[in-house]
Amino acid sequence: MATREAGKKMIMLKSPDGMEFEVEEAVAMESQTIRKMIEDDCADTAILIPNINSKILSRVIEYCNKHVPTTGATGAAASDTVAPAALAEDLKIWDAEFIKVNRATRFDLIQAASYLNIKGLLDLTSQTTIDTISDNSLEEIRSFLSTKNDYLPEEEQTIRRENQWAFQ
Amino acid sequence: MSSHLSSSAAAPLEDENLFPEILLRLPPQPSSLPRASLVCKRWCRLASNPSFLRHFRIHHRRSPPLLGCLVQDPDGISFLPTSEPLNRLPPGRFSLQFLLSNGFTLHDCRHGLVLMSDQMRRQFVVWDPVTGDQHRLPIPPGFDPRTTRINGAVLRAAGDVKHFQLVFVAAYNHGVAAAAACLYSSETGVWGNIVSTPIPFESDRGSALYQMFTFGTISTEPAVLVGDSIYWILANCSSGILEFNFEMQRLAAIRVPHLYRDHFKLIKADSGGLGLLHISDFTMQVCNYDGVASWRLGRTIELDKLLPLNPYKDNIMLGAFAEENNMVFLWTLNGLYAIHLQSLEVKKLPETTNISHYYPFESVNTTGRVLL
Repeated sequence: MATREAGKKMIMLKSPDGMEFEVEEAVAMESQTIRKMIEDDCADTAILIPNINSKILSRVIEYCNKHVPTTGATGAAASDTVAPAALAEDLKIWDAEFIKVNRATRFDLIQAASYLNIKGLLDLTSQTTIDTISDNSLEEIRSFLSTKNDYLPEEEQTIRRENQWAFQ
Repeated sequence: MSSHLSSSAAAPLEDENLFPEILLRLPPQPSSLPRASLVCKRWCRLASNPSFLRHFRIHHRRSPPLLGCLVQDPDGISFLPTSEPLNRLPPGRFSLQFLLSNGFTLHDCRHGLVLMSDQMRRQFVVWDPVTGDQHRLPIPPGFDPRTTRINGAVLRAAGDVKHFQLVFVAAYNHGVAAAAACLYSSETGVWGNIVSTPIPFESDRGSALYQMFTFGTISTEPAVLVGDSIYWILANCSSGILEFNFEMQRLAAIRVPHLYRDHFKLIKADSGGLGLLHISDFTMQVCNYDGVASWRLGRTIELDKLLPLNPYKDNIMLGAFAEENNMVFLWTLNGLYAIHLQSLEVKKLPETTNISHYYPFESVNTTGRVLL
């Protein structure tokens, strides 16, 4: 793997609105989709990332920059001086700040994480979404989804009866 | 809360590909999926889809809630739910009928699996209460559970949700007390080589007559998995710990400090290594093993500040350790409690009269589904 100090290989990511981002290959390869393109030699000059605008792409790159493993050329962990637990705690705090975005942005980030196949980002964005609704009442969740209760009263009763312990 | 929700945020939940990804992250508590099923038929269809349920279990497999305890008593094996009321599964949720008439002995619960032995048939039974899957395999030849103390541990390798591993241990005395262990993998379907180690004998334990007729053996308590090793407590004329290391397939005995050798429990320490708990009066002491030979004092936990104890009469007894939830069970005159060793959060568990043989069962339950 390229070191962060010298000899690092850079690649170009392009958003559909014409912006270009030069990033380290290691950072871009946090995305399994991009990793595959690079490994298949489909990424000589620049990679066009469809459907992800520059605003979202820059956030995604920011996430990958923070989460890329910091290993040196020797393979030894660059975090020798920092305990792994402290490092994980630092990332957790950073993630919590990173995801303080409006819902439209979070939705765009989920789609980007899914398309680019970045597991950590998909976890973070999806978990935040489910956490914001799972404490709500059924009516609140339905109104959030703009969904109507499509159960007949007897169907709803059946579900409640079958799992009575979960609704007491 | 509803005022914070806007319909634009709902969009990923309407996307056919992202919707299951997001619902996978519902909490692993038993009530999650039944409650989600009530939102609408689309949610219900997903929450009862076998493929989604499988992914749900995989996603949460390293953070399973404590659903309850399997309890061994003279009448057989039963399930005691211990979650808070909304997540408390009815005792009949798992089909235990097959256990009642079989005279099974419980040995271990881990990674959603239950390990029992059927001593009449000289078999181990590995059971997944959530899916109902059962797997029987013979106890390694040469060990008769009716005359030899046997125990075992069941687990799944990290990332493996299909196969399981079973470690068999037995104590025997052919002139010298020793323990033997053997590893079974459901992937290969065969037992590995038997490895053994002498069990250290403590000459100051018991009278000379007692020692003539007994020897160090393996406790019937469930094992604790820490890193690449699994540990059991040694009992009778020995006090120590038996370690089976998966990577090296090696069995070894570890001595414990003299002070703690009676009534201690094994735990996963804060450092991630092996630890033990010991109670003296109302103080619980944590002791950490350095992985080589020595023990180091860790935290002390003042139980009288956490539990409603009777200062004159109470005698606290250490119960089982729920390793994936880092909780230890404590028996007091007032009943059974579970303490989270990190947060020190205390939970009163349902009333019960039987003190011994509780096996914490930690798993992601997906049996509450409803098919429309």
